[in-house]
Amino acid sequence: MKTSMRVAAALGAVVCAAAIAHAASAELRASVDRAQVGLGDQFALQLTLVNAGIGGGRNLQLPDLAHFHIMSGPNESSSMQVINGAVSSSVTYEYILQPMEVGKFTIGPATIEADGATLKSAPVQIEVVRGSPKAKQQAAQGNEDLTAQIGDNLFLRAIVDRTHVIQGEQVNLSFKIYTRVSVANYAVEKNPTMTGFWGEDVETPKNIQTSPETINGKQFRVGIIKRMALFPTQSGALEIGPMEVQTTVQMQDRRSNDPFESFFRDPFGRQVNYMIKSDAIRITVDPLPPDAPSEFKGAVGQFAMSTNVDKKTGRTNEPIDLKVTLSGTGNIKLIETPAVELPTDFEQYTPKVTDNIDRSGEKISGSKTFEYLLIPRYPGLKVIKPVAFAYYDLAKREYVKLRSPQIELNIEQGAATAAPLIAGGTQEDVRTLSQDIRFIKLGEGGIVRRGDELRPGGVLIALLLLPLACVGAAFVYARQRQAVMLDQVGYRNRRAIKVARKGLLQAEYLLKEKGGSPAGNQRLRFYGEVSKALWKYLGDKLNIPQSAFSVEGAVAELTARTVPADLITSLKALLETCDLARFAPTSLDLSVMQRTYDEAQRIIVALEKTLK
Amino acid sequence: MNMRRLSLLLLAAAAPAFAQSPEAKLGSADQLYQQGKYAEAREAYGAILSSGYESPALYYNLGNACYKSGAIPSAIVNYERARRLSPADDDLRHNLQLANMMITDRIEPTPRLFVWDYWDGIKNSFSLGSMVTVVYLLYALLAACAATFLLARTYRLRKISLFAGMGVLVVFLFFVMVLVARMGDITRTDEAVVMSPVVTVKNSPDPKSSDAFVLHGGVKLLLIDRVGDWSKVRIADGKVGWIEATALEVI
Repeated sequence: MKTSMRVAAALGAVVCAAAIAHAASAELRASVDRAQVGLGDQFALQLTLVNAGIGGGRNLQLPDLAHFHIMSGPNESSSMQVINGAVSSSVTYEYILQPMEVGKFTIGPATIEADGATLKSAPVQIEVVRGSPKAKQQAAQGNEDLTAQIGDNLFLRAIVDRTHVIQGEQVNLSFKIYTRVSVANYAVEKNPTMTGFWGEDVETPKNIQTSPETINGKQFRVGIIKRMALFPTQSGALEIGPMEVQTTVQMQDRRSNDPFESFFRDPFGRQVNYMIKSDAIRITVDPLPPDAPSEFKGAVGQFAMSTNVDKKTGRTNEPIDLKVTLSGTGNIKLIETPAVELPTDFEQYTPKVTDNIDRSGEKISGSKTFEYLLIPRYPGLKVIKPVAFAYYDLAKREYVKLRSPQIELNIEQGAATAAPLIAGGTQEDVRTLSQDIRFIKLGEGGIVRRGDELRPGGVLIALLLLPLACVGAAFVYARQRQAVMLDQVGYRNRRAIKVARKGLLQAEYLLKEKGGSPAGNQRLRFYGEVSKALWKYLGDKLNIPQSAFSVEGAVAELTARTVPADLITSLKALLETCDLARFAPTSLDLSVMQRTYDEAQRIIVALEKTLK
Repeated sequence: MNMRRLSLLLLAAAAPAFAQSPEAKLGSADQLYQQGKYAEAREAYGAILSSGYESPALYYNLGNACYKSGAIPSAIVNYERARRLSPADDDLRHNLQLANMMITDRIEPTPRLFVWDYWDGIKNSFSLGSMVTVVYLLYALLAACAATFLLARTYRLRKISLFAGMGVLVVFLFFVMVLVARMGDITRTDEAVVMSPVVTVKNSPDPKSSDAFVLHGGVKLLLIDRVGDWSKVRIADGKVGWIEATALEVI
């Protein structure tokens, strides 16, 4: 019915617009589809712009509609007509409004910009009455009393369990319908506004359980239609706005006693729409104490924390589940993910957060689980540092810190994930997590006075001089050797004693060889050796070739060199003895040979002394 | 020398009983660093240096302490000093590279002949001690060749020792050159680092002269010339200008 009326009104507006089409100037008209409207009924406000030029209107400004809810709109419709060559156009903006209060209201002027001018509509009057004006029109005067009667017997109350809380503390809010009439149906028209709160609906039974309650001597039936748990997220004076509920009340018509009349009436009585509204509630919220620990992230209530890994020993590339569970009562949904420090060589993902909230009790309780999937990439003993979590304990009125135990994971080398066919398939670059300077060097010696590293030490100088000295010595030696080799005479002279000693050594060897019983052959060789040694010595010493050598010649030479006569005599005698023994073998025995040997040695030593 | 040693001994005798050895001081400075007290560690390292001692590790650790306390130019100076004493140190190279990445100016060095890279590679790949050892061994080998040549009795041995000695001599001379260059590196005073956060390089040694370019703290420079308080500098990309010596610290 309402719709058809609106259509008719719209048509009327269009016709109206057409009627004034010849009026060339643009105009904004405001109209309502009826002058009187019931509280809870809807009416249409139409703003019609006629004869606007090309481009139409812009920037439509609505009048103050503080006493009305805008249910829908603007619904724009336009029309254009050509009558006798005159073009008329109209654009209609329609708003469906519902009054909030009873009374007479003036809907102020609306403005719109069109054709470079700002157009203003005329104010419109509307009267809002209780109940539906149609019912009123149809019903007798007593009906209004009925509506008034409802007003006393049906109301909505918002009830909180406390009005002074600390930030994050739960406030229980319930909306109760108090009724003495029969409410056939209700629908929440407007939910309460709750700026500064996080609200959680608490479960209420589907069928409202009513309980009797007496107010001012009248017995009401009371049903809770909505329950909420509120957690203030900011401090200060916060307001919970009113809730509006549209009810349908089943009226028992007790006005007439005429049974016939009641016979023709609807046996279920009449239904009346009635709006009920709760009052706004103010709640004072104190801020939390300022000494919050760094781990505190807004959790208020009472919580417990548990951490759990599904396995303590794993293999590389096999996922491990780490669960951090916070459970307790309080603003559980507002808890932020606690910081979990994981070893950096773990592949990690954003944790999966699961809420499990129990809304049935007086206090909101439940648990929040943060599930981390960790994939170790490298074997070894990995440590997950303790997870820290802090909350404000409402019972103790202080911050409480929770720390989970440290978790140690033993990761073994797992099987290679990729088949060896795909070379390098599983390789990845070494990720540089952060760059920092390397650590200082500890316990490194080598501290010296400045400049000492370039000052050569005594040892070094000595070492440097050593090869030089060696080369010098070698040079000197080589020079000497060369000189000696050039001086053949001197060389023979110096070597004479050595050669003689060698010969005598040979003789000594022969003397001692057979343990004192030398064979004849050996005796001969002995004397030969002694003789040879003596001759060689003399030859070397006196620089005479051995071939041109005789006993006489030697004696003459020795005499010339002032060798004592007795020594020469002894030498002569010895040489003769040797010759004698060699060429005329006699029975010279061992003691004689020994004496000969000793004599030869004595003579050579004596000669060496004389012939320097 | 003797006099100095004597005076040192006297100094040591006069020093109070609680005077620590530089090694012990270094240990306590290292501890400060490990506790994260970088500024204190920096002072402690500096105290060891100002008492006349040095070592590559000392400069390196001081560089780290400067880096950690945010003084990047000082860190670069000390890393460079450490590098002169121990150019082959990998940690040092890494830290110096990081510190150089922290400075504002990005300077593209002019390309140079690859031979110089080889030369630097040879020069810097040994520690000073091992280089001295190598030179000494070559010297001893040379002496051995010479001695063999002098003492050889056969012609063949003399010939072998002569040619061997000539070969050794060439290598020896090369390494002596390397050693001398390396010692020159240690004692050179023609490199500096900009210590002021920002400094304007002028076109001539005069505060009223026109600005050539602007450098920020931490840039390494080559000092070419000096007039009064002004140093003529060249940066790695070849730009030349004059800078007030107070803005620099010689490495």
